[in-house]
Amino acid sequence: MGQKQKPGPFQWFLIILCAVFLCVMLILPLTYIIVTAFREGLGVYIKAITDEYALKAVTLTVQVTLIAVAVNTVFGICAAWCITKFSFHGKKIISTFIDLPVTVSPIIAGLIYILLYGRQSALYPILREYGIKVVFAIPGIVLATIFVTFPFISRELIPVLTAQGTDEEEAAALMGADAFTIFRKVTFPHIKWALLYGVVLCTARAMGEFGAVSVLSGHLRGKTNTMPLYVELLYQGYDFTGAFAISSLLVIMAVAVLALRSILEHKGGKPGDILK
Amino acid sequence: MSENNYVELRHLEKHFKDFHASKDININISKGKLVALLGPSGSGKTTILRMIAGLETPDSGDIILDGKVVNNIPGSERGIGFVFQNYALFRYMTVYDNIAFGLRVKKTKESEIKERVSELLKLIGCEGLEKRYPSQLSGGQRQRVAFARALAPSPQLLLLDEPFAAIDAKVRVELRTWLREMISRLGITSIFVTHDQDEAIEVADEIIVTNQGRVEQKGTPRELYSRPATPFVAQFIGNSIQIKNYADFNCFEQRSPDSTAVLRPEFISVLKKNETQQFSTSADEGVVEDIIFRGSSIELRVRIHGVLLSASRSVNDTPVEVGEKVDVFVYRMYVIDGDTITLVDNDSLKQESVVI
Ligand SMILES: Nc1ncnc2c1ncn2[C@@H]1O[C@H](COP(=O)(O)OP(=O)(O)OP(=O)(O)O)[C@@H](O)[C@H]1O
Ligand SMILES: [Mg+2]
Repeated sequence: MGQKQKPGPFQWFLIILCAVFLCVMLILPLTYIIVTAFREGLGVYIKAITDEYALKAVTLTVQVTLIAVAVNTVFGICAAWCITKFSFHGKKIISTFIDLPVTVSPIIAGLIYILLYGRQSALYPILREYGIKVVFAIPGIVLATIFVTFPFISRELIPVLTAQGTDEEEAAALMGADAFTIFRKVTFPHIKWALLYGVVLCTARAMGEFGAVSVLSGHLRGKTNTMPLYVELLYQGYDFTGAFAISSLLVIMAVAVLALRSILEHKGGKPGDILK
Repeated sequence: MSENNYVELRHLEKHFKDFHASKDININISKGKLVALLGPSGSGKTTILRMIAGLETPDSGDIILDGKVVNNIPGSERGIGFVFQNYALFRYMTVYDNIAFGLRVKKTKESEIKERVSELLKLIGCEGLEKRYPSQLSGGQRQRVAFARALAPSPQLLLLDEPFAAIDAKVRVELRTWLREMISRLGITSIFVTHDQDEAIEVADEIIVTNQGRVEQKGTPRELYSRPATPFVAQFIGNSIQIKNYADFNCFEQRSPDSTAVLRPEFISVLKKNETQQFSTSADEGVVEDIIFRGSSIELRVRIHGVLLSASRSVNDTPVEVGEKVDVFVYRMYVIDGDTITLVDNDSLKQESVVI
């Protein structure tokens, strides 16, 4: 990058503008959430977050997030690996489709699954026969979350893998290493940090997903309500303290994930790890 | 087919989609030889090397190593060591682990690995660097480590893709000599790719010249110089200049209507006006346009009959100046007519030798 200059008046103006913008758009609302959550005292706050339904929502969110992140990690690595290391027909199409969830509104994602697995679908009788309930049940929520978050990991990995090229893998293959050894010894050390970073982003997004999940969940209190949905429910029931208390939990989780991200970035930038 | 051939390529063809990258490649390489694949960029050198290594599959034709057709044998079982153009060292492994990789894959005992790695480190003169990562090595050291890594599993054939390309000029010359010595000491059959003639001439026992996916000629450096088989080789080897109006030169006749000629600096001598020489009477007059000091010699660019020729003079000769009129005597040239090339001597050489 270019040299850092000393800020002049115009630069100061920009800096202040950014600061004000951040305050109004981010810091104020976040502070407001915390303040409102504690407005009626610590006791009420603790009560709100230890409410039976609140705990269920937290548990569900954590479960869904873990499953979605696990699935997307595997999928993301496979997709990124295929796209960067092999040339085959339809590669462009796959790599375009991976980006789709970012561009499609989550509501539409939700509706797609309703149409695919709901009562009006041709699949419905089959699913019912095996006793699998997707729509208005946890599998639906998991599916919606996976859909919305699946680009995050492969998108982090693709640039790293592209930059690395295929020479090292070819060298290893020529010495007789099998695919798994090559991945473990050659590719994985290279994508480690990008992967963790992708996982973090994916986690953050999975925890907060509202739109698609909202369509598929059916809002069954204590059953299919994730934290964001539960917040909405409380809010619409005029339980502002409760809503803000749960929100504050989500915020804390998000901040924790972001902090983790910073640590990873810091570690990832350590010489000796990212070589060259 | 000779018993001695370690590598034999027969009628290899390779397309990348519509692009014909290798056209009827036929190559024989005897055991223990160090051979260079020399050709301009995009002429298919890497493609040939990768087919031998099994990194690309030919569309048709046979790859024969040590008398066995290996087309359907995976690259890892062909007994090949490959040094990649940018070395492709495993950047998250230490030098030791890099060299040990191929042995570990083969489940060699750790004690044997240790022995072999330290033997190789000694061979490449990199003792004490085993704990370093590739990013902590100089270009030359990386190259040596890549070489050691390729040699570790004791391959029968060593393939090197532009082994010196990424190294700066001075170290490159040192490494060339080093590599040549290494390979002849080990006696391992080796093929290396280069687009630098000097490198090929200096290092290789034999040179295979490629152009547009074809093999143009195979021969010793001397053969390529003195008996180029195709017009391309005549132009490509040496500091050659191709001219159309060769009949404008004294004592050369137009051989056929569309023929052209190739001139090399060593075919030309440049004399100051006051210097005389046996053939000065049949020299042409030219004007010096540029003088380049080459250390051991002086390179001149001389404009003559509208073309710019390059020639050299010894540093001990009386200096010439830019703009000076000089006598240029052309001893011989390659005349190219379609696909045939003929070495044509200056007519006055024949006449005067008759006189003498
Ligand atoms: N995987 C590929 N897909 C399509 N075309 C390819 C591929 N590999 C090589 N080619 C083409 O084949 C031709 C020969 O390539 P090759 O790499 O063998 O050239 P080269 O002689 O090694 O050149 P250089 O000296 O630049 O490395 C080039 O025109 C190149 O564009
Ligand atoms: Mg090449």
